[in-house]
Amino acid sequence: MRCNHKCRVWFDSSNTGQRCSNNTTTIMNEPMSSPEETKLRTLLREARPSAELPPRFQENVWRRIERADESATFASRASWLDALAAWILRPQLAFALAAVLVLAGLVLGWNSGERSARSEAQARYLSAVAPNTLH
Amino acid sequence: MNRRSLTIVLLALGVGVALLATSFLVAQRWCARHVTSSADDLDWLRQEFRLSDAELARVRELHDGYMPQCAVMCKEIAAKKRELETALAGATNVTATAEGKLAELGALRVRCQTQMLRHFAEVSQAMPAEQGRRYLAEMQRITLGFHEQIEQSMSQSPAHEHGHH
Repeated sequence: MRCNHKCRVWFDSSNTGQRCSNNTTTIMNEPMSSPEETKLRTLLREARPSAELPPRFQENVWRRIERADESATFASRASWLDALAAWILRPQLAFALAAVLVLAGLVLGWNSGERSARSEAQARYLSAVAPNTLH
Repeated sequence: MNRRSLTIVLLALGVGVALLATSFLVAQRWCARHVTSSADDLDWLRQEFRLSDAELARVRELHDGYMPQCAVMCKEIAAKKRELETALAGATNVTATAEGKLAELGALRVRCQTQMLRHFAEVSQAMPAEQGRRYLAEMQRITLGFHEQIEQSMSQSPAHEHGHH
């Protein structure tokens, strides 16, 4: 079947037949080209401008890729910090964290105080029974 | 990077550190004040060797009996040290008098140390067997270890190697 709007492309018969099959570029209704047409096509193909690459094109491309990578890393770091800040600002978590820190401080402080108190008590006993005059 | 997020994280860190430090210091001071509030010389023995009231009473009796003897020895040693200092004062050599005072001081120290070790042994016997052994070992380590350390440091020092002068 031919497309109605003269795009010279066959309908895709497998695809419910409602639209043009734009994927295919094969012009099906044309007969095999004549030698003139072939010549013309070759000429057209050759006439197509092939833009010259600017100087240091490849280097610049790599640089842009690297910059893009860097900004992606930076963005991911920023998003990580945002997530952490949001996590900290949750009231339940903030209170739980504060409670854990206070508890840890109390336990550590108690242990340290007990150790120093014990060592003071030992020093007091020793100074009573083994005075420094012996040393 | 979001400045606000960074500020929040840093602020949270600061608050966390402040909370930890404050609670640590408060607990440490409170514990030190309440545990060491007693001025009892035997408080360490009671805590460290988990003595019962009866055991502590027996140890206290021994301790109170020993303290006057210890004070007498201390006075004698202090007096002998003064005599030795007088004998050494102004002398460019070790005189016979100074040597005599040194020997007397040494003898006094031996007597004092013997008396002290005897007291430790008595106290250890007033404790439960295991605690008594631990107490005696600890007291010997502390009171005799000091001299051992000095002797070891002298024997290790190249300047004190005997026979190599």
